[in-house]
Amino acid sequence: MSALGLNLNADTLLSMTSPSLAVAASTHNAKKIYGKDDSVVYALNDVSVDFYSGQFTAIMGPSGSGKSTLMHCIAGLDELTEGSAIIDGIDLSVMNDKALTELRREKIGFIFQSFNLVPTLTADENIRLPLLLGNKKGNEEWIQRVINTVHLQDRLSHRPSELSGGQQQRVAVARALASEPRIIFADEPTGNLDSTTGGEILSFMRMAVDELKQTIVMVTHDPVAASYADRIVFLADGKVAGEMLEPTAEKVLDRMKSLGN
Amino acid sequence: MFRIALKGILGRKARLVLTSLAVILGTAFLSGTSVFSATLNRTFDNLFSDVFKNVDAYVRSSQVIEADFGQEERQRIPVSLVDTIKAVPGVSDAAPDIQAFARIIGSDGKPIGADGNGPPTFGGIYTKFKGALWTIQEGKAPLSGTEVAIDEASAKKGKLTVGSTVKIVAQTGSREFTLVGIASYGDVRSPGGATFALFDPTTAQEFLAKPGFVDDILITGDGSLSDTALAAAVTKALPTEIKAETLTGAEITKETQDQIGSALSFFGILLGVFSYIALGVGCFVIYNVFSISAAQRQRENALLRAIGASKKQISRAMLIEATVIGIFGSLVGLVAGIGLSKALSALLRALSIDIPSGGLVVTTSAIQQTLIVGLLVTLASAWFPARRAGRVPPLAAMRETAVEQIASSKKRTVGGLLTVGAGVAVVAAVTTGADTKWLGIGILLVFIGTIVLGPVIARPVALFLGRPAARFRGVTGSMARQNSARNPKRTARTASPVLIGVALVTAVTALAASIKGQIDDVFTQQFKGDYAVSTNNRGFGGLSPSLALDISKLPQVDKATGIGLVTAKLDDKGQYITTISPDSINGVWNIGLVDAKYSDLSASNIFVSQKKAESKGLTEGSVMNITFADGTTRPLTVSGIYEHNEIGDYIISKSLIADTTVVNFDIGVYIVTKPGSDGATVRATLENAVKKYGQGELLSKRQYIDKQSGNVNQLLGLIYGLLFLSVIIAIVGIIITLLLSVFERQRELGLLRAVGMTRSQVRTTVRWESVITSLLGAVLGIVLGIGLGWVIVFALRDQGLSSFSLPVGSTIFIVFASFVVGVLAAIYPAWRATKVDILSALNTN
Repeated sequence: MSALGLNLNADTLLSMTSPSLAVAASTHNAKKIYGKDDSVVYALNDVSVDFYSGQFTAIMGPSGSGKSTLMHCIAGLDELTEGSAIIDGIDLSVMNDKALTELRREKIGFIFQSFNLVPTLTADENIRLPLLLGNKKGNEEWIQRVINTVHLQDRLSHRPSELSGGQQQRVAVARALASEPRIIFADEPTGNLDSTTGGEILSFMRMAVDELKQTIVMVTHDPVAASYADRIVFLADGKVAGEMLEPTAEKVLDRMKSLGN
Repeated sequence: MFRIALKGILGRKARLVLTSLAVILGTAFLSGTSVFSATLNRTFDNLFSDVFKNVDAYVRSSQVIEADFGQEERQRIPVSLVDTIKAVPGVSDAAPDIQAFARIIGSDGKPIGADGNGPPTFGGIYTKFKGALWTIQEGKAPLSGTEVAIDEASAKKGKLTVGSTVKIVAQTGSREFTLVGIASYGDVRSPGGATFALFDPTTAQEFLAKPGFVDDILITGDGSLSDTALAAAVTKALPTEIKAETLTGAEITKETQDQIGSALSFFGILLGVFSYIALGVGCFVIYNVFSISAAQRQRENALLRAIGASKKQISRAMLIEATVIGIFGSLVGLVAGIGLSKALSALLRALSIDIPSGGLVVTTSAIQQTLIVGLLVTLASAWFPARRAGRVPPLAAMRETAVEQIASSKKRTVGGLLTVGAGVAVVAAVTTGADTKWLGIGILLVFIGTIVLGPVIARPVALFLGRPAARFRGVTGSMARQNSARNPKRTARTASPVLIGVALVTAVTALAASIKGQIDDVFTQQFKGDYAVSTNNRGFGGLSPSLALDISKLPQVDKATGIGLVTAKLDDKGQYITTISPDSINGVWNIGLVDAKYSDLSASNIFVSQKKAESKGLTEGSVMNITFADGTTRPLTVSGIYEHNEIGDYIISKSLIADTTVVNFDIGVYIVTKPGSDGATVRATLENAVKKYGQGELLSKRQYIDKQSGNVNQLLGLIYGLLFLSVIIAIVGIIITLLLSVFERQRELGLLRAVGMTRSQVRTTVRWESVITSLLGAVLGIVLGIGLGWVIVFALRDQGLSSFSLPVGSTIFIVFASFVVGVLAAIYPAWRATKVDILSALNTN
């Protein structure tokens, strides 16, 4: 944590453009290295980035830029080779599997591209899954509010196979929100949906940030999806390649072109 | 791309191994039991060809009574024949031989050798003779009436050394001898685990048999005649009034081997039956693995279909795979079976059925049988899954996950119900009078119907059984419950082997409980005494008749009576006839005499059980001609009919055979003590009296009744041991299915781990799914097993089994055991499930 404040490189300076916001998650000099000796590949090469509470941040970059790896490492699904990943002031690198699992359960919400739900559980059980796994009741009022926000009131007893793709992703959004996590990570949440349904999901995520005061970090390569975010962090070749505030689809597209996508 | 390809191959390799494992287990038991049987046969064959190695001819009495199970009672011949035979031209030497009961008592006072079930305990003659089997290794040959030589193994076991005093029990009672020699049998310490006490000829006749008589005479030729000619010459020289026969060395060897062979063949059949049950159970596992792997390869196959592969090609590819697995699995199974046959010997030894050790015998037929059956079973099990694999629509390539189609469950429900119904109807028909032979078909129909219905009932029953798990284990339990019900066909196929195993165990247990219950009732009702001296040596040795007399003279004893068995010929068939002392048995045993008293049994009378009297049309006053082992036939008048035939169907008085050469041991002495005598003192006094004979065990009434159930327990133990094979296959079946399911659910597991399921929760989920599956099989198996047990008891009602006892304790134990089985079977799959890599699970598309 000594890196904090000492490492005043360009990225850190850029992140300080919104000084009023608290940091929900961050990485410091994060490196993820695959292979050995001659065939070393840097999936992440010295990435330091902060994600702010109450913001909807998108991570963008061409394929192979390390955006998914970055998300996996901050979310405690993967380990950094060097550097640190911090969530809510806790350094993930010192945690064992059990502690990481509990951290994911209690402080993090997840929305994946597909296969988000457990087929044997109902929509309601899927939404409450992190709470059920932690043997917690959760805040019922909050859960009802989340369910109402994503319009799932009359689908709660259905199993995933009885739901459409969009409904399934809505259940996933509701699950990510249900335990009132510190931060929600979404990995191409609309990648498998048509643009109308995808837009609906993104609106719900936007609503979660604006009305429910949640923090969302979303990995995407879709400029339209990214335009729903407050801020975009661009990644290229495992390094932070700049960021953008108040993005629009056109601006994002231009920027992506310049990154060589 | 390379990683994905590698993963595919690895995935298939694991599947290959798992499928082969099912084949290996099924065939291993088959080859194991046949190797074991062959080895056992060969061991005994070798043993007996050694015994008569130097014997060219063999003379024995031609008077014999053969009873069930290869038991026979042969008369003895006069020892004077030895001199007659020695004078025959062509004979080099002849020696008398005795094979009688003799038990050596060890230095600790305990008899050597298992009581009743183990290898026999022999007494015999030691003489200097070319064909003699024994050589003295240490000390000298026994020459007088106070000297004995014993085999090396017994000496070691009984901690007896040359010069020590040793007590030996024989038909005439027990006696103390000085141990003068330790003998060895060729280069074997003790042939087949039997014990031997060897005496000089005179002592042997007088102590083991009857003065002047021996069992047989061993002859060696001088080489001038062939064995056949020698035997003919000896026969010619024998006095005609003596009923004797001469066999060549080869003939007596073959006869002995055949006798042992037929005794062993029963055992071989028993083993065979259980190995085929195990193989049948294995079929389910093989079938299940092929079905699952066909389902998991659905997308791959659909893709092949989409790019132009025909249905036939897909099916054929799978059958080729099955052939490879079948051959490979059977080969490994063959080898594993050889190892297993050693384990079987160990199992029998643990049940105190000692067998001689010898080199393993792997016959060509065992190899052929294992390979052919293994291959056929694999192909048959793969047949339907292969056909289904071919029928996969090309569109399935686009589908998300592996789905096993649930074939029209209506057809299945109707078919299953009809089959069960037909089975029940057949059983019902039998219980209301139809021929008992239909029972088997009825039972089979019920079993088949239940297995057909399996997938239909698996879901509701699994959901029901999983309720406590869901309730007390929260979301992990609830997921386990749903998982066990999500693919009812698979769950049913996994539970079926458990079902079969549990049904058989339950049925056998229920049968045993019923038999024991019956024994209990009968003996409580009939045995009126307070103590009994019992021995297991039926047919070969037993209690000296003087024991009952000794005990009856004790001051604390009101009455003591001995009951014995002799073999006699009746209607040209060997039969056991019970011998009693009419003057002392009254008030000790109540056999339910109808209009008769024990005193009606004189030396010229016989009592017949009601059952036999009815079937043979005998009434009081009928005359029966019975031939005894001494060759005499006597007309006996029926003077009483009795109800309870537990002690035998025919009863004669001991006085009838008192002065004959008929061997008469008591199988039990039954005692009524005087009222008011102190329990502990009585027991001690009785113990002392029994100890003098070194034979028999003093039991209280309760102990005696319990001991009657002991044989049932031993048989039960053996059957459990054999069914254990099937249970192992069932457990492996659960392991394989769980592993394949874990494989299939990698993404789900990855997701669960990502959203916060801990490794221990993953394990809990897999464990409970396993437990629910196992319990599903157990619960259905218990239901079927109780039904089956009841039906068997019913079928045996003619054998005197009148009431069915439900083994409540054992049933609860089986449920508990299947719970444990579920937990154990889940260990490895659960561990594998925790090793699922979250990222790669989430990234596989």
